[in-house]
Amino acid sequence: MSHKKHDHKECVAMFKKLSEYIDNELDQVTCDDIKKHAENCMPCKTCLETLRQTVTLCKNVKDQPVSNAFSVRLKDVLNQMINQNPIN
Amino acid sequence: MKAETRETIKDKDFELIHSINNGKSDRFYELVEQYENKPYNFGMKMCGNVQDSEDMVQDTFLNVFRYLKDFRYETRFKNWLYRIATNTCIKKKRKSKYAPDRELSFEEFLPDEVEQRATELPDWVSIPSDDLLDDELSRVINDAILDLPEKYRLVLVLRDKEEFSTEEAAQILSLTPANIKVRLHRARLFLRDKLKGYFRNEP
Repeated sequence: MSHKKHDHKECVAMFKKLSEYIDNELDQVTCDDIKKHAENCMPCKTCLETLRQTVTLCKNVKDQPVSNAFSVRLKDVLNQMINQNPIN
Repeated sequence: MKAETRETIKDKDFELIHSINNGKSDRFYELVEQYENKPYNFGMKMCGNVQDSEDMVQDTFLNVFRYLKDFRYETRFKNWLYRIATNTCIKKKRKSKYAPDRELSFEEFLPDEVEQRATELPDWVSIPSDDLLDDELSRVINDAILDLPEKYRLVLVLRDKEEFSTEEAAQILSLTPANIKVRLHRARLFLRDKLKGYFRNEP
């Protein structure tokens, strides 16, 4: 991440902490440093916002329900198991 | 990691489990009905096909019933269920062919030249986040998750799809929270790269 405005090491150090930043798992001082850095560094801001959006999109992928046929089959299998091994 | 004790854990399922363990075995179906979609979608993310996922759900609930009398009320039932589902899934996957396991290095995800020259945020950052995704984008994300090596995929699915905390994911996978954080970050960066590629090539 070599660009003119910021120290390369500072950008790489920030890049390593982006997930913890997104998850609010960093101390306040580090959070403030990252926020300030990203405000003034477009490549780092891009990394941060695309990573944040990646997490959001992943969370919003639709879940699929099990099919009715499988649900019925599962109950049959469990029914056999329960009848053979009731919990006492 | 702060150990949660029986006194501090509150779980809506405890009463039902007590009832099942006290002889009302038929109430087990209530647990199944409540949770069957969860391990199924977890299985779909982990193995990518319906048959394997259904087998995994069936084996998971058979194991849940088998070991329910040993449940110690020291963790939420959902976390315990996922621990069993995870172990079942790993066992099943060892018998089949899936994405090869490899280490993801942090360096391979450092920003590329396009990002270093960026003067504004890419358009895909603005996709509305409050809606469920369309089928095409869901497929792209699911495919990308399936391309992840297993140990990263497990962590990403538990944290970002099932929304377990770092500590909970660490308990489920018997890893340290630090380990979860490292794997999660690399998995997210992997997924970010896949999405970046998709949106750049989108017609």
